Amino acid sequence: MAILSGSWAIIIANVLTPLAVLVFSSGFFPYKPLIPGLATFENDSNITAVPKAFDKVIFMVVDALRSDFVYSNNSGFLFTQSLIRSGAALPFTAHASSPTVTMPRLKAITTGSIPSFLDVILNIAESDTSSTLAYQDTWLAQLKARGEHLVMYGDDTWLKLFPGMFERADGTTSFFVSDFSEVDNNVTRHVPNELLRDDWSALIMHYLGLDHIGHKAGPQSPYMVTKQNEMDSIVNNIYTSMEQEEHLQSTLFVLCGDHGMNDAGNHGGSSVGETSPALLFISPRFQALKTPRQSPTDSHGDFQYYRTVEQTDITATLAGLLGFPMPLNSLGVFIPELLDIWKLSSQRIHLLLSNSRQLLRKLKETFPNHSFEPHSNSINCETESSPDVYMAECAWVQVNHLLFNSGGDDQDDIYPELEFALFRFLKIAQKIMSSAASDYNLRDLLLGLVITFFVVLLSFPATYTLLSKSGHAGTFFALSILSYGGMMFASSYVEEEQQFWNWAFTAWAFYLHVKTSIHPRCYTFSQHGLRNCHRLYVLVLSRYGAVMLLLSHRVLRRWNQTGQKFAANPDIARTLLPSHQLIFWSFVALTYVDTCKHLSNRCLSRLWQLSCVTVTAGAFLLKLSYVASDSPELLPETIFVPLRKVLDGGSLIIFTRLVFGGIFFLVPLSIYTSKTPQRPLAMGGNTVFHDALTLFLITQSRATNIPIFLIFRLHADILASMTLTALELAITTLLVQYMTFFAFGGSNSISSVDLSNAYNGIGNYSVVLVGILTFVSNWAGPIWWVSAAQVLRFEQAQHERKAHIAIVTFHMAATLMSVMAACTILRAHLFIWTVFSPKYLYALAWTIVNHLTVNLLGEVLCTLLPRGQLKQ
Amino acid sequence: MASPPPSPLTSPLATSAPDLPKSAPPVPILPSQLARIYSFLHPAALLSVYAARFPALVADPVSEMAQQLPILAVAHVVYAMICLPPAGSDVSLSAPTSPAATASGSATATGTATPTGNVILRPGKVGRRRTRDSAAGGASAWGAKVAPALLSLTLTTLLATPTLAILLILFGAPFTTHHVQTLLCAAHMAILSSTGLIYVHGVDGPVWKEVWGCKRPGDAVWGGALGTAVGAWLGAVPIPLDWDRPWQAYPITLLTGAYLGFVGGTMLGRSVLFGKRVRFDEGEESRNKVD
Repeated sequence: MAILSGSWAIIIANVLTPLAVLVFSSGFFPYKPLIPGLATFENDSNITAVPKAFDKVIFMVVDALRSDFVYSNNSGFLFTQSLIRSGAALPFTAHASSPTVTMPRLKAITTGSIPSFLDVILNIAESDTSSTLAYQDTWLAQLKARGEHLVMYGDDTWLKLFPGMFERADGTTSFFVSDFSEVDNNVTRHVPNELLRDDWSALIMHYLGLDHIGHKAGPQSPYMVTKQNEMDSIVNNIYTSMEQEEHLQSTLFVLCGDHGMNDAGNHGGSSVGETSPALLFISPRFQALKTPRQSPTDSHGDFQYYRTVEQTDITATLAGLLGFPMPLNSLGVFIPELLDIWKLSSQRIHLLLSNSRQLLRKLKETFPNHSFEPHSNSINCETESSPDVYMAECAWVQVNHLLFNSGGDDQDDIYPELEFALFRFLKIAQKIMSSAASDYNLRDLLLGLVITFFVVLLSFPATYTLLSKSGHAGTFFALSILSYGGMMFASSYVEEEQQFWNWAFTAWAFYLHVKTSIHPRCYTFSQHGLRNCHRLYVLVLSRYGAVMLLLSHRVLRRWNQTGQKFAANPDIARTLLPSHQLIFWSFVALTYVDTCKHLSNRCLSRLWQLSCVTVTAGAFLLKLSYVASDSPELLPETIFVPLRKVLDGGSLIIFTRLVFGGIFFLVPLSIYTSKTPQRPLAMGGNTVFHDALTLFLITQSRATNIPIFLIFRLHADILASMTLTALELAITTLLVQYMTFFAFGGSNSISSVDLSNAYNGIGNYSVVLVGILTFVSNWAGPIWWVSAAQVLRFEQAQHERKAHIAIVTFHMAATLMSVMAACTILRAHLFIWTVFSPKYLYALAWTIVNHLTVNLLGEVLCTLLPRGQLKQ
Repeated sequence: MASPPPSPLTSPLATSAPDLPKSAPPVPILPSQLARIYSFLHPAALLSVYAARFPALVADPVSEMAQQLPILAVAHVVYAMICLPPAGSDVSLSAPTSPAATASGSATATGTATPTGNVILRPGKVGRRRTRDSAAGGASAWGAKVAPALLSLTLTTLLATPTLAILLILFGAPFTTHHVQTLLCAAHMAILSSTGLIYVHGVDGPVWKEVWGCKRPGDAVWGGALGTAVGAWLGAVPIPLDWDRPWQAYPITLLTGAYLGFVGGTMLGRSVLFGKRVRFDEGEESRNKVD
């Protein structure tokens, strides 16, 4: 009865987990209501107060255009740099706040507000249309409201954000990362025609190729400069048209990146590289401002070129230059350098005043307790404190004071002072509003936390019984959960989580060493008829297994440097292997041969062995062609040039599907061949499944990570040579799952999500398939170990399997609870959106996909498999 | 001056230990007044000097570690010579029974004296005879101490330091950079952990097998060695923190952990955990048995 209730408790615990996650998420990622409707000028007289400087805007977004791509010495933007030198282009670095993903960034650029973290998820689940900006105040909506026409070419995120906004549009899907040229040609082919037409007042282009190169090959890729040259030639074409065409005389050309990229070419996080895109305002008329700048130039600070502005300032600046009211939700400040386009000081002041009034409205909304009235003398403006509401209030009082004084006579000398005061207020207000914490639903947060606590309680009794019986292993497990839980509250430990797992794994290897060195297991493998060398291998493993474990783990640890602090250090995957191609490819080939050997050894049937060799060879060729198209620096030129000619675009997709089909076909084939008269040797359904899965995971891994699977094999052999209890096996499985996730280059930052294998064999975008492939390619290590542990635990009795599930469930619940608790308690922390929220998203993936789907589903499948057939 | 009193032939501790018949017993601190006082003075002095030199260590880890190394070696050998029984002596039999030492003593009283007593570096029969001889005069007592001391210094340099350097790298120390730091850190750890062990146990095979398997019974020497290792392992904890303090640089926290661990381990080993072993049982229901 007790056992029955125990397993029921575990089942209920696992069923409750998604509910807890759902409740907590709804409280943690609240839907932020924005002011609906369009802004209008406050009174009619103001319309003429500031005449618009431009009639039209050409808005060119180059995805992931980091500041140094345009401004540095190695840039390919040579024409653009000449524009900077002539003064026709005003260059800035536009600070993009985290999350640095396209959709939230576009929201920031168009509305001027700072979007919520929820947009990251919506950015990935792209089919979602609830994030539309159709009913929000944007500069596009303002132009549309004036009855003007807009056209748009490029990333179809725009079409999703602004349904029905554009007269003409041609969207390209932003998720086919492996395509470098098609996406951009699809935009460029429309440009000459559009430049000849004069029926639009906003032409929006969004180029994706540069971002794709970053994701696939990184910022140092040889493709990068070529792409920059291509983008520069488009700037050249447009600028030439602006000079020559009559109808483009009053046109503003904006060139900007939506976000940057880090040294690995990814984005989503908050490192300097990711948050520093370039921003340029270009027009021949700016030459009259006489502000030519040096270019190329050196950055002051990481990626900070020229002056750094906020990305949200784009909206406010466009509003001023194109002469429409500031959008309602904008937190932007008009960029001062562009203010000089108006010669009259009164016009400049009017513009800044309307900007200030709009921000003041936002301030009053957020802080209803503050009056911001000039006569309220209750505040002490003398003390200089951190930029808080009081400072903003003081700044506004000062502005009013100056306004009142200048009210009677138009003294020109008051204007510079007033301008200064207005900018001061604007800066303070922007800073306050940008850092204002979003309103969490605390009730949901706590409810989610309570449900998770309940899950922990449910799985606790079964786990406690196991732990209390098992001495040091139990203590180790309890301590590791406790220290992991504590770690989740420290931002640097969250960023450097891999250090914890490596550290804990060394201790665990030491434990295994001490345990096995006392009673070395007499390993008998004779029934398999092994050769001498293999016997020696087994002997070494059983004697010095733990030492080998430590040694190979040390190699694994250095494979991919990840985290934040040491991420740039040289490692094996990015430094050693690309420069030693022969070693690299022999290891990759060895991995494939080893996998093939494991597969074909299961059975002596000719048909079986032939199909194994065919499928493995196919998978290897496929990897070779992927490398040839994505990262040619790993291949000598003599190989990759002909390879790329043979396998191009469409044929690669078909080839991928064939290989995937072959891999999946191996499992039923193994069952079929085992029934043929030729007697199979040690035929195990789940080992064939495991080896086929290995081949699939290899295909879904980055080429430089493939040799890791050799280390995995060694680890699995070492663990098989040790006699481990159910608890020890469960702890080992958990440890290696986390450890290998980070060894593959994963981290707790959104930017480390590897999309390079997410589209293998996919012709049309599909959220589910891409989601599955993304998960598999990022969690390849954990998935492999879940499967390997199934093989290791093959002979376990029923109660041991139950114990395993209980331990895994308890671990999941305890870690999830600590992450949730950290996110709840630290919700006002400075790093909540950059460190803790991404960690929570990763915890979701670990819980929902890795625990519930991979671990538990694997367990269920394994118990359902007919035992008799597995055991010969 | 700190020569052990003559040992009786039969030991009050000599009970049979069935699981590990050849194991050497835990080693107590020598019973003399000087040894007792100095065994507390040495760790205290070690930590005080370390704390005093810490700013210099942070400023320039390599030269500071190199400068302190000979001083530490001498200090540690002196500590061993004053407070610990040298390899070959059989003081454990004559030592007053530690309150915690109950069943962990092993059968050391089985040997008989052999005429050729030249090899002094093994405990048991040969050594005991030697000890009895040396009890005659103070000068020869020091002679019995000098040879193990020299041996321990040699082996610490030649064997323990490289071994610990390899272990440091296996446990995550940088492999391609910081070689000097790793080597110096390993040397410090080797002096802390191995000098005592070698001085007391010489090259006694079964003892070193126990050390390899982490199976020694608790005493000041083994406690200090294990404490050094565990302390260094725990010392890695502050490194990933983003505080950007100079003392977070690689070998400093490890070395601090090792020193603290050595002192903690020594104190625990000679008192609370004296004679206790870390016990790992085979089988499904493995239990944390403490002898």
